[in-house]
Amino acid sequence: MILTPVAPVSAERFAEATGWHIRPEGACRGEICVLAPGSLHDDGTVDVSILAERLGMPIVTDAQHGVSAIGPSTLSGRALPTAVAADPELIDRDGQPFRLSSLRGRKVLLVAWSSY
Amino acid sequence: MVTVAIDVEPSHAHRWIDAAHPTHPSLIDTRHVTDELFGFVNIPMAVWIDERGILVRPAEAASIERSPLRGRPIPEGLPDRIERALREVQKMPDVSDEYRAAITDWARRGSQSPYSLSPDEVVARSLPRDTDSARAAACFELGEHLRRTVGDDAAVRWWREAHRLQPNNWTYKRQAWTLVTTPPGAAENDLMQGPNDVYEGNWLDDVIASGGGEAYTIVPQL
Repeated sequence: MILTPVAPVSAERFAEATGWHIRPEGACRGEICVLAPGSLHDDGTVDVSILAERLGMPIVTDAQHGVSAIGPSTLSGRALPTAVAADPELIDRDGQPFRLSSLRGRKVLLVAWSSY
Repeated sequence: MVTVAIDVEPSHAHRWIDAAHPTHPSLIDTRHVTDELFGFVNIPMAVWIDERGILVRPAEAASIERSPLRGRPIPEGLPDRIERALREVQKMPDVSDEYRAAITDWARRGSQSPYSLSPDEVVARSLPRDTDSARAAACFELGEHLRRTVGDDAAVRWWREAHRLQPNNWTYKRQAWTLVTTPPGAAENDLMQGPNDVYEGNWLDDVIASGGGEAYTIVPQL
């Protein structure tokens, strides 16, 4: 997830980018919840530095352009912290948003490919 | 089935999607978020998701038919790098028949299929993610953001770092290489991704350095 000094991060945006939902009780993904006191503000924004520390997410910064990116959680030591499938918003051939959750009730074989 | 093109630009994927006349959702991921969220590191790879939205197989190589490049004799007289690249391709493990049969079995029998894994097995079989590989994801995304907002050159430093931190993530490498080795105006992305002046690595030399074609894919453990 891209971070800029001027743009606070909402809990919704954090969840969209990382799969971790920030609730009063902590950061949760699937059945896993991690205590993260102070990470959720009253206005619905989150303290990324607290979450990065609690979830083991590295942050890298390009000082020249004033922009940072936060990496995925290293908590479990595996690419998947949980078997609950993430649900990012992707786009289809025509640029329309699409979520895998729209296919609940059906098996999904998600195949990655590229033109390179 | 749902396909997701982990690609440079949507336009790069469009012609292939259109040629396939798909009846399934054909998605596009230009930010490599599916690398981060599902653990893809190369293509083709796939995950299986059941009716409840639970992964029953982690990211693994997803070829369902044997590449014709693998069984065909390598013609004599090819340029050296092309010949060596084809030799590495022929070394890649091929379980396409078994993988296709496993998909069919799961489609028919669901959780009763022996290829449907428990949640604990799915997590345990997903690829390792240490600090370096998580940092590589952040570096790649930062580079991609700068490429779009500042220009290609601004991405290079961060993509070099992503390659160094996670050398087995081929989508990070192949995207970066193809952007510098594809001639301007070319109709298709350059698949050879040879030596270049921008990045240390290239497809053939990196494949060999990382164990050869035998080690290039995440072979499904069926």
